Amino acid sequence: MEDKEKLQINNYKLQIVDLYKLFITRIKSVELKTWIKRLGFYIKIWWMMSKNAFMMYFNQKSILAIFLAGKIFRFTFFIIFLYFLVSGSKGLAGYNTNQIIFFFLSFNVIDITSQFLFREVYRFRTLVVSGDLDLILTKPINPLFRILFGGADVIDLITIPPVVAATIYMGAKLGPSAVSVFLYILLIINSLLISTAFHILVVSMAIITLEIDHTVMIFRDLSRLGTVPIDVFKQPLRGFITYVVPIGIMLSFPAKAFLGLLDWNSVIVSFVFGITSIFMTLRFWNFAIKKYTSASS
Amino acid sequence: MNKYLQVGKISLRQEIAYPINFIMWRVRNVIQILLVYFLWDAAFSSPGRILFGYDRDKILTYIFGIMLVRAFVLSSKSMDVAGEISRGELSNSLVKPINYFKYWLSRDLASKVLNLLFATIEIVVLYFVLKPPVFLQGNLLLIFLFMSSIIFAILLFTILLFIVSSVTFWAPEAGWGAHFLLTVVIVEFLSGVLFPLDVFPLAVQKIINLTPFPYLVFFPLQVYLGKLTSPELVKGFVVDALWLIVFMYFLNKIWKKGLKAYEGYGR
Repeated sequence: MEDKEKLQINNYKLQIVDLYKLFITRIKSVELKTWIKRLGFYIKIWWMMSKNAFMMYFNQKSILAIFLAGKIFRFTFFIIFLYFLVSGSKGLAGYNTNQIIFFFLSFNVIDITSQFLFREVYRFRTLVVSGDLDLILTKPINPLFRILFGGADVIDLITIPPVVAATIYMGAKLGPSAVSVFLYILLIINSLLISTAFHILVVSMAIITLEIDHTVMIFRDLSRLGTVPIDVFKQPLRGFITYVVPIGIMLSFPAKAFLGLLDWNSVIVSFVFGITSIFMTLRFWNFAIKKYTSASS
Repeated sequence: MNKYLQVGKISLRQEIAYPINFIMWRVRNVIQILLVYFLWDAAFSSPGRILFGYDRDKILTYIFGIMLVRAFVLSSKSMDVAGEISRGELSNSLVKPINYFKYWLSRDLASKVLNLLFATIEIVVLYFVLKPPVFLQGNLLLIFLFMSSIIFAILLFTILLFIVSSVTFWAPEAGWGAHFLLTVVIVEFLSGVLFPLDVFPLAVQKIINLTPFPYLVFFPLQVYLGKLTSPELVKGFVVDALWLIVFMYFLNKIWKKGLKAYEGYGR
């Protein structure tokens, strides 16, 4: 009798486990499906917004050509300068010419990609001051998504492929290991994550303080310190631009990992910083958006 | 003369009316200088090193000099002329009994005075923070020539801004683009703001020296550092003056043609 009861209980248990598994599988497949659907939806929206932004640029081809020429000139001049400086001084902070140029190219990959993705942030202040942010808040998409990715920059898009090609070419010359390349790619993604966090912070602050232009430009000026390895700078500035304003983590660490010069502690700190910064700034955004007063609308 | 003095005073008050704006602009200048400073400090880390004809004292003096010369020469309000033309606001000035060029020069000078004041404070602060070895020029003639070259540079840059802004008479939307290319990117690299032009090979230097750009920052600083021989000084001032004449002639022509093309859109 006892055996029968035990068997029955076991059967019940098995049925419950089966039901639970079925439930979880259903839930997961529904969640996954919804998630994929939402992702597809946002990619479609991004593509539409970017297409509109590109069309605006292409309507003024001469302006596009002038800005493109300016960017190419600036990039070329700086590489030429670095080449002559480092070859003339027989190395800089222990790095040779190719390594320094690789740092500069890696900086550009991150910087230009960020500019390409987040150009709309530069226009955000007008939306807050005029109250036009209302028009975004009432739309059935995530407002932060629209504010961050609403106007991709075609000039940066044009410059990304040659810069990436130059980085690959220069990187190949440095003979990295497979692990270094893998880490480099991961750290570049991490840098873009930090850049996203920074832009979320900027738009959040813009809602509270109505100031955005200088915050962005000061960050961009500070970023330019990342055109060369952070080892060039002395303490305490080096510490400041590594951990306080994360220029070092964002712009120098990927290239250092590529050269096999980054210890594992720094790699872990880098990823922890990237992920934490995204979560923290998202929380800050949720706080800031509640402060929006819709003035002037 | 009095009216231009008043324009200068009003312009100065306008700048002070938005102090955060101005202070942020100065902070950006300091950050830009820090990049250049540390870059060169690292290049001259070995004691007694001489590179591109500079020792450590002279190169760091050059970097500090950039702050001063930049505040005097490159800080300018005249870039806004392009906006005035494209928005049709130039019409307001055309009906007033003022010389438009002198009006902007007055505004520029006011801006330069303020920038120079802040640049001096920044230099003092950075000097005590970074404690760089600085080269002080004792030759009075060279100091006089340095100041003369600064006056040439101010005029050269102001006229250059006007010439570039004139593009908007024919292409109203191209004003900022033209300024970005010519008075931001090209000037940044070829005037010696980012690095002394001596880093380039001699042949490249000779070509660059024939353009007007080195006479904005690089040439005045070379004069101050006493790096030029007498014939080089004379040649430099002659080329400088020639560019000034060419620019003035060109601006005169282009401005007259531009005014004929001007339609005052937006007014």
